[in-house]
Amino acid sequence: MDFALFHNLSIGFGVALSLQNLMYCFIGVLLGTLIGVLPGIGPVATIAMLLPVTFNLSPISALIMLAGIYYGAQYGGSTTAILVNLPGESSSVITCLDGYQMARQGRAGPALAIAAMASFFAGTVATVVIALFAPPLAEVALKFGPAEYFSLMVLGLVGATVLAHGSLVKAIAMTILGLLLGLIGTDVNSGIARFSFGLSELSDGIGFVIVAMGVFGFAEIVSNLEQGASRDVFVNKVTGLMPTWKDLKSSSGAILRGTALGSMLGILPGGGALLSSFAAYTLEKKIGDTSMFGKGEIRGVAAPESANNAGAQTSFIPLLTLGIPSNPVMALMIGAMMIQGIAPGPQVMTERPELFWGMIASMWIGNLMLVILNLPLIGMWVKLLTVPYRLLYPSILLFCCVGVYSLSNQPFDVMLTALFGLIGYVFVKLECEPAPLILGFILGPLMEENLRRAMLLSRGDASVFFTKPISGVLLGIAILLLLITLAPAVRKTREVAFQE
Amino acid sequence: MQVRNGKDFWAGLMFTGFGLGFMLVAQNYPMGSAVRMGPAYFPTVLGGMLAVLGGMVFFRAFVSKFTYPLKVFLFRPLLLVGSIVVGGATYFAESQLKGVPMVQSALAGLSLFLFIGAFGPRSMFLILLGVVIFGYALKPLGLVLSTVVLIVISAMGGHDFRKKEIVILTIVLVIFGVFVFVKGLGLPFNLWPGE
Repeated sequence: MDFALFHNLSIGFGVALSLQNLMYCFIGVLLGTLIGVLPGIGPVATIAMLLPVTFNLSPISALIMLAGIYYGAQYGGSTTAILVNLPGESSSVITCLDGYQMARQGRAGPALAIAAMASFFAGTVATVVIALFAPPLAEVALKFGPAEYFSLMVLGLVGATVLAHGSLVKAIAMTILGLLLGLIGTDVNSGIARFSFGLSELSDGIGFVIVAMGVFGFAEIVSNLEQGASRDVFVNKVTGLMPTWKDLKSSSGAILRGTALGSMLGILPGGGALLSSFAAYTLEKKIGDTSMFGKGEIRGVAAPESANNAGAQTSFIPLLTLGIPSNPVMALMIGAMMIQGIAPGPQVMTERPELFWGMIASMWIGNLMLVILNLPLIGMWVKLLTVPYRLLYPSILLFCCVGVYSLSNQPFDVMLTALFGLIGYVFVKLECEPAPLILGFILGPLMEENLRRAMLLSRGDASVFFTKPISGVLLGIAILLLLITLAPAVRKTREVAFQE
Repeated sequence: MQVRNGKDFWAGLMFTGFGLGFMLVAQNYPMGSAVRMGPAYFPTVLGGMLAVLGGMVFFRAFVSKFTYPLKVFLFRPLLLVGSIVVGGATYFAESQLKGVPMVQSALAGLSLFLFIGAFGPRSMFLILLGVVIFGYALKPLGLVLSTVVLIVISAMGGHDFRKKEIVILTIVLVIFGVFVFVKGLGLPFNLWPGE
């Protein structure tokens, strides 16, 4: 077993260290850092924009680059959080609390350095976690039939709703709305174009990028403008990057805890970077001396930063082993794999080992590049932050438009994205979290197909979902999760946790 | 009964509306049975669930412990009515307008703009307007002119519009677009009208 692991990793590094793949890894992490630093444009919009471009790349280069964007963004986001008190990436919201305070005390350097070190350590551990846990999981997944897949998706969706901000009922409703939107287009079994209103453009369904770009990208620009965000950039000279011995000592425990928590939460469906960073910060606040939290505690930077990186990376596990995306970025990765003609799922590991292990190896290399990229180049990123939003958002719009248009060269797609931007704005105003909607949108057709197959196989007996062992356990966990969330005590802590 | 939570009130209405809408449209397709599900089966079940959940959110609006005003965001009902009238007319007059596709597209476009204008702040209208025009202008006008249109219209949606800055930004983005998108990434856009 261990021998096989080394063998596999050596294949992986062989692939990832080729000059071409190193270059794409570098482009990925560089772009990731860039968009991570810039508030208002995230990995979803960027990956969506680059999807059409990856068509011309080899599958492994494409995936390496796109993965780099995601975890690169986690690094970049912390820079903005610490220096400007604004989350460059949603997963670094929590880093603002203590990171910005440190910057105000003239300790921006150590905060940035600890964030980078924590991220690198977490990235390394998460890479090992993927290498260790993905293969056995994939083996289990190979035994999955339609009933198991259906139950797994139910669990994934329940996970996403439970972990969403705000009201549970609204989150479930958003998931179902997402599932319904995903069903628009031609039904594979009957060939009937559903909900297309006679528009030929809708008969292939709505592209995932269109929904994601509209609901996340455009809607965010509009609400940023509405808030009249005049961001005063707090760009002190960043001097003295090196943290003191005391900093290192007090943050090492936080980094370890953050990494462990992030690695676990990343695997959960609906998990990923955002949730991990919140959980890690909450945990850290319960341990040891808590008097400094919110006033520049270095542990408050170390824990969430390690957790969001670990979570970002381990969220690849469900994608690579089960073919099921646990968050919007992973859904885009599925899109990227499909463009390359790869059906995501447990068979990828056995049929295309170079793809699987190459990607894992590239993550570690990418993390190394990020440390090198981030610390010495910090001045450049800081300069970038001084670009005012009024110049930034028209540029972001142009990128988004070009990205959507180039999907299929249809003006209709751009119009539809604008419409989803409007819907996304309404969602924001009504406090309806869009993440579960996106997940439902992706899983809608898959769920319907597996439900149909399972029911056909069982001759219409719905109890099959509970009597098959794996399926029953998965559904049981889903129901348990829902019940726990509804329990009064948990409900209260959940409300508190999301208010912070 | 008084609406305490305006956000829940509208969200409930929205979910119920979507749920019922999907259920209604799904009735045009064969239902099938639990063993062999037709194309209407899954959407009907989901639509029903969504409508029920929407109802729950709606009623919660009256007993919620959070209070929000009923006016959650800017809404111009007149424009929405106008949009629905124009849109409906375009849809049902389709057979009469077959010979003049330009009129039909123009009417559909008008309906869309009224619809976008009915919700939210001015900045959103301008931004989405710029986006839609960009999409439809890219082919006939070429990348250069449509970029100019997008940047200028969307920049007007911001808080302070500085002419000089926008001119420079537009020039920079046009050059960037030509070299990166067309020359670099090889996207198949024409640069000028009628190329």
